Amino acid sequence: MIRHSIVKIAASLAFALAATAAYAHAQLEKATPSVGSTVASPSEIRLKFSEGVEPRFCAIALSSESGATAPLGAPSVDPADNSVLIAKVAKTLAPGVYTVTWHAVSVDTHKTQGSFDFTVKP
Amino acid sequence: MTTLPLRAIAAALVGASVVLRLSPAFAHAVCGDRIFPATLAIDDPGVGDELALPTLTYLPSNSGGSQEFDATFSWTKTIFPNFGLTVEDGPTWQRPGGYGWESLNTELQYGNFCVPDHELMATIGATIIWGNTGAGTQAQPYNVYQPVIDVGKGFGDLPKSVNFLRPFAVTGELSESVPSQAWTNGSQNSTNINWGFTVQYSLPYYNSQVGEIDNDFFKHLIPLVEFAFSKPISNFAPGTNVTTGTIQPGAIYMADTWQFALEAIVPINSASGRGVGVVGELHFFFDDLFPDSLGKPISKWGQP
Repeated sequence: MIRHSIVKIAASLAFALAATAAYAHAQLEKATPSVGSTVASPSEIRLKFSEGVEPRFCAIALSSESGATAPLGAPSVDPADNSVLIAKVAKTLAPGVYTVTWHAVSVDTHKTQGSFDFTVKP
Repeated sequence: MTTLPLRAIAAALVGASVVLRLSPAFAHAVCGDRIFPATLAIDDPGVGDELALPTLTYLPSNSGGSQEFDATFSWTKTIFPNFGLTVEDGPTWQRPGGYGWESLNTELQYGNFCVPDHELMATIGATIIWGNTGAGTQAQPYNVYQPVIDVGKGFGDLPKSVNFLRPFAVTGELSESVPSQAWTNGSQNSTNINWGFTVQYSLPYYNSQVGEIDNDFFKHLIPLVEFAFSKPISNFAPGTNVTTGTIQPGAIYMADTWQFALEAIVPINSASGRGVGVVGELHFFFDDLFPDSLGKPISKWGQP
């Protein structure tokens, strides 16, 4: 009897989950330049999240080792995929280590944040 | 007696929240760059809308010498932002011993205190295990009251020269179990102190902060070890104030809206059981699955 009840509850839950469009906290899945990578000066910072994001409430900042801010364009989402946030790098970056700091708000308003480094090779 | 230190810790935490101007965190135990997963032996340091269904536990030989299988559920519903109620229950089968139904376990939790720059998070709670709500082998005629504090600390604030250490996090829990009845059928009901901690290495954190992981499975994995202990501190029968506990190595696969955890259960001594057991849990984050209904607080009262 109890075993049947548990099976019923689990089946109902599975149906509810399957029937509902799920959103979540936007976690960084992949970045270009890659997290921890060494690359030539990039033309853009591209962040692929696990969920769609709202570009109006997202931010990307780029700073050098000395703490100087590198100029970036306003973030926008890839028209083909709203989980990809893009910011254009306004000028060629000098060789060195750079830190990308991001804040993201997913389409269901959950906030996440993070930062990572990449190196521009000489 | 020992409620005083717990009260002092709770008071200090409230005081610290004012002094440090703690930022509120919301469901899913997020603090700064860190997402603390739901763990099995102890609670995570956050309050959120979530459901663990089922948690399946197998013990080849429990502390009473019986083979035991438990199937429990746990549902947490936020009532106000950062304030929630957890309800937990489920059946147990023992051999020898037979079938039983666990006493209803409820916990009021308040917290999500968070210092984002240091990935430091805490929540306090008050648990009641309700007497006369269990059945069979788990029938218990008295309540048990349990103040609880849960804390978590991620190490993302370590210098980048030790980048590989930054995905580490530890969480801890301290509680005291106070029965409402000193004696039942000629047996003493002891007051216990319970403590535990986890050591976690978050590969999702590694992937997003330290270095890219190409493998889609591993980038969602959090290997961890949990430790949980208990010791009678008053009203115990002579010779029974032994520390019992388990060490639980395992891993959590964390997806966007759910997670699955699997851990071995290793008793620390014969008083804690014999042989290696196993526990698995499927866990759903309702704040992500149903952000506009089941997954949000009933009232926005007190929202910053």
